[in-house]
Amino acid sequence: MSGLIIAIPSKGRLKEQVEGWLADAGLKLEVTGGARGYLASLKGVPGAQVRLLSAADIAEALNAGEVHLGVTGEDLLREQGEDLDSRVLLLRALGFGRADLVTAVPKSWLDVESMADLEEVAHDFLARTGRRMRVATKYLAQTRSFFARHGIADYRIAESGGATEGAPAAGSAELVVDITTTGATLQANGLKVLADGVMLKSQAQLAASLRATWDAAALASAERLLRIVEARAAALSSATLTWPARSDAAEAALVDQLVAAGGSRRPHGVLVDSTQVAEASLALAAAGLGPVTVARPDFVFDVNSAAMLALRAQLF
Amino acid sequence: MRVEPAVPTEALAAIRAPLEAAGAERADAPLLQPLNLLLDLAGEAMRARLFVVQAEGGTESCLRPDFTVAIARQHLAGGDPEGRYWYQGAAFRASARDDRPEEFVQLGLELFQPADASFQAADAEIAGLAWQSAAAGGRDDLTLWLGDVALFAAFIDTLDLPEALAARLRRVAGRPRLLWAELARVDEPARAKGDPGGDGGALAGLLAGLSEAQAGALLEEVWALAGVEPVGGRGPAEIAARLVRKAEAARAPALTDGQSRAIRAFMGIDAAPQAAFDEVRALAGKAATGLGVALDAWTARLWDLSQVVPAEAMRFTPALGHAFDYYDGATFEVRSAALGPDRPVAVGGRYDTLLARLGGTGERRAVGCMVRPWRAWREGEGVGS
Repeated sequence: MSGLIIAIPSKGRLKEQVEGWLADAGLKLEVTGGARGYLASLKGVPGAQVRLLSAADIAEALNAGEVHLGVTGEDLLREQGEDLDSRVLLLRALGFGRADLVTAVPKSWLDVESMADLEEVAHDFLARTGRRMRVATKYLAQTRSFFARHGIADYRIAESGGATEGAPAAGSAELVVDITTTGATLQANGLKVLADGVMLKSQAQLAASLRATWDAAALASAERLLRIVEARAAALSSATLTWPARSDAAEAALVDQLVAAGGSRRPHGVLVDSTQVAEASLALAAAGLGPVTVARPDFVFDVNSAAMLALRAQLF
Repeated sequence: MRVEPAVPTEALAAIRAPLEAAGAERADAPLLQPLNLLLDLAGEAMRARLFVVQAEGGTESCLRPDFTVAIARQHLAGGDPEGRYWYQGAAFRASARDDRPEEFVQLGLELFQPADASFQAADAEIAGLAWQSAAAGGRDDLTLWLGDVALFAAFIDTLDLPEALAARLRRVAGRPRLLWAELARVDEPARAKGDPGGDGGALAGLLAGLSEAQAGALLEEVWALAGVEPVGGRGPAEIAARLVRKAEAARAPALTDGQSRAIRAFMGIDAAPQAAFDEVRALAGKAATGLGVALDAWTARLWDLSQVVPAEAMRFTPALGHAFDYYDGATFEVRSAALGPDRPVAVGGRYDTLLARLGGTGERRAVGCMVRPWRAWREGEGVGS
């Protein structure tokens, strides 16, 4: 494995979102080998090879060390085993591809509101029928560990390849563990989410494989990519305030105050978090400083890359 | 797969000798066991420990994790009310820990009897055989730990608790986290009779006075009004009944501080057997015949055991047993001080209900033991490492 290998989703909404996220940071995906190719390069990160894979395959490839970096859902990554953190490092939550992994039971079970209710009902079910209650899911590992944490032992997993939410209606399971965004599909299938049945609030993650072979070239390309996406994310969440300088003690004190609150000094002003813009501007105006101009930076490159420091700390 | 080193032939023969001399028939078990059945019996938590194999297009099997289920099934298929079998062979359990072998040798004996047999004598005999077999390995740091999964229920019955609370305690007995949560919920005020108490309480009030059929019909009406399409394996009568039970349980008072303390003290008992039985008696509430009978049975077992096990090598702790075992009565473990409680040399116990779940007809009784020769042998596991 020479050079950085990045895996990104090859189809669906997640693919579009990942491409949009890269393009926003000025990184354009150029598919090589024809329009239907499953290899690509990333303009802006020379030497990096992009593989287009299914989201589930990306989780497996990261786990196995076949790729260095990948973008996929946390729900799929967590399915790679309990000790995932020893093999895969989650570098950045990307804010899209949001979905919850939940335990859902038939709405007709008016007596079941919580996991504790489910524990009792599962026990009764086994005693009454001699069978264990069946849970339809494709999330075997997470179901097992979540149910164990809630003391539920009297159940069986019915592995489901797709259309999991239909299993109770079809009679192939009593309840489901599945991914949901709005809950509408569960609703339509006569199911409800238990009050404490949310197992994971998942979203797309940029993750690094700790098992991959990281040579100098791969590290250099990864650092370049990470710095660019971090700089873009930092830019989107900050704003530069500038105003005609007065260069007196009151101004210096106010700038110190803004820096103490998380801002950073700029030649003729200060860079603040975008949620602080109004508050900071009003404080400046109140001190007689202004007019205040607020500008959005395109990129904010920090001296250190938090993701790169974390990755290096794990690898070496 | 990490394979356990072999015990030399002579040492293995010595460890096996007590089981071989117990008048049992040699039995074997197929290497591949039906995965579904084992998971049904032991629960999903077992899956992580099994090596699953599947031929293309075939059903899922697993490498045998033990011999007990397979031998019990063979015995039931034979139709005899009585049976006594011993076995020796490799068993397989996956482990995330690098220092644990995943293929290892087990020796064991399973004893099946009709319901009217003297089961206390059988418990003592099998625990005694496990001890003799383990001790034949030559270790001098062994202790026979005795316990009883059924004793907790008998003890709870002496505390004069509301039935809903007693049922809940019995149910969570094998699940430490839930049990401690219940014990911590001391002196919580009970809900007043008229207080609907949220979730379905008002509905429960309506359902409480009705017959099963009426309650079921009312619940179906509620579903229709709420636009709920019932799916899945629980009927209206069952759900109605549990709504009522749940409301009753919410009204039932929590444990008093004294009761909670008594249960904690009971769970914490760990003493020489006779002293342990005295502690149980002292902690028990009102005179309880069930508990008395259970303790008298233990005195009888102890007398039998004292013929083969030195008195100072025996301990009793009521909670000995694991959440995902099939045991439902007396349990025992032979532990080596050097190997610790996580790596017992021998384990065993009574599992009458397993036979019923395997489809056995009529009341039957079963007790068995399993010895790990590599752990029993004085030059085996944990030596020189």
